[in-house]
Amino acid sequence: MTRRTAFIAAIAAIALLAAGSAARAHHAFAAEFDVNKPIKFEGKLIKWDMVNPHSWFYMEIKGEKWMIEGGSPNQLIRQGVTSKTVPIGTTLIVEGYLAKDGTNKAVGRNFILADGSRLFLGGSAPGQPK
Amino acid sequence: MRRISAGALAIAVAMMWLTANTTADQQAAGASTAKPAPRQGSGQAAASTAKPGAKPYKAPRTPDGQPDLGGFWSNATYTPLERAQNITKEYYTPEEFKKVMQDAQARDETQTTPGTTADVHYDFTQFGLDKSQHTIAQNLRTSQIIDPPDGRLPPQVPAAAARAQAQAAERKQQGGQYDRVQNMPNGSRCIIMGGAGPPLRDAGYNSTYHIVQGQGNVMVLTEMIHDARIIPLDNRPAPPSGLKQWVGMSRGRWEGETLVVETTNFNGRNPVGGGRGGGGSSDAVKVTERFTRISDEQIEYKFTVEDPNTWTRPWTALNYLQKTNGPIFEFACHETNIGVSGILAGARADEKRAAEAAGAKTGSR
Repeated sequence: MTRRTAFIAAIAAIALLAAGSAARAHHAFAAEFDVNKPIKFEGKLIKWDMVNPHSWFYMEIKGEKWMIEGGSPNQLIRQGVTSKTVPIGTTLIVEGYLAKDGTNKAVGRNFILADGSRLFLGGSAPGQPK
Repeated sequence: MRRISAGALAIAVAMMWLTANTTADQQAAGASTAKPAPRQGSGQAAASTAKPGAKPYKAPRTPDGQPDLGGFWSNATYTPLERAQNITKEYYTPEEFKKVMQDAQARDETQTTPGTTADVHYDFTQFGLDKSQHTIAQNLRTSQIIDPPDGRLPPQVPAAAARAQAQAAERKQQGGQYDRVQNMPNGSRCIIMGGAGPPLRDAGYNSTYHIVQGQGNVMVLTEMIHDARIIPLDNRPAPPSGLKQWVGMSRGRWEGETLVVETTNFNGRNPVGGGRGGGGSSDAVKVTERFTRISDEQIEYKFTVEDPNTWTRPWTALNYLQKTNGPIFEFACHETNIGVSGILAGARADEKRAAEAAGAKTGSR
């Protein structure tokens, strides 16, 4: 790693820490994915790995297989989402950023259903024992 | 901002809940601007939930007669460990707290700006990971720290600064953060998260615990990132000081209604107290936790941290564990942690591109 890369990585890590809730992350996403390569893909869900520390959505996009990284499934499960909530074959629109290493991989900033609604958009009262 | 109506409803319901469920300690703060002394001792804490004339709360019992702490609990909170510099009082009024909650929720739901580094991430609201979607134990306190009275961590001793410098020098010698997996943070490597404890600290998301009591032992499972701590209750001595672990080694005992757990033998690499001032806590740190069930829905959780190699005096914090739903989906972080290889591959790709750009520049001369 060059000094410049190390410096940029350090700044990225600090920026992530400073950015608040959206960046309370398990790892440094900006080190893995490229801020300069935003994507908006539409494709079909072919597999969903509901795994920790991050979910992986496998999608077929224009005949190619892609891996899209999403959030930890635990809170979704607490809210009643199961691995069958999103049927295989569902058409999803994904907004995110491509992986730096050039593979068919991206972080899924947003997962949007064909009707425009957000996938898994939660919302419940704070402090309410569930 | 999305979900404004849901957010407003959430705050309204939270305030209703708070009004109905605050402990006497919290109600005292809400009823006036007087500063009640922090409750000390399990008996008082348990009694503090009772209305005048009512019997003190007595926790249900396990089959072998222990106060029952079993079940699933969340310690997600909007109360910071340390009191903010511009706040001088111990408690918010309910009105002030409402504003604090609204502001915190707004921060939680604020979307990052496309094309910025912070935006390279998944949306927390989609995955239910912002605190507004968590089970939260409401608390009018302005800080979790109740001693020192200013709600702040005590000053550090000179040895702490020296340790921080030594650690920084070691990191520099090891190269960049993404040069090799060993240089990456403990959480990214699925070794341990900062809130795993002891002490149990709000993990940011998935701040859930499963307590199981058997005869002679208590087990505390931490969801992030799946650490099971076995606490023997048979008065055995602490292990020899040379035996060090990430989560230390715990010994428990009952003092009336309170489970007291003393933990020593930390390896010093999982800093207690968030590491403010650098260097974190040392391997000499001792954590004493006090679990007292104060209602069917809450456990009062108080902990004291002593580390003469880090702070000039011990400090004590108070938070609550709020009953929540289980079971906990196994975190199994190591098994599917593709992120580490992705980060290293990304760093190598960056280097390759930089080298190629440098080569092209040289060649064009």
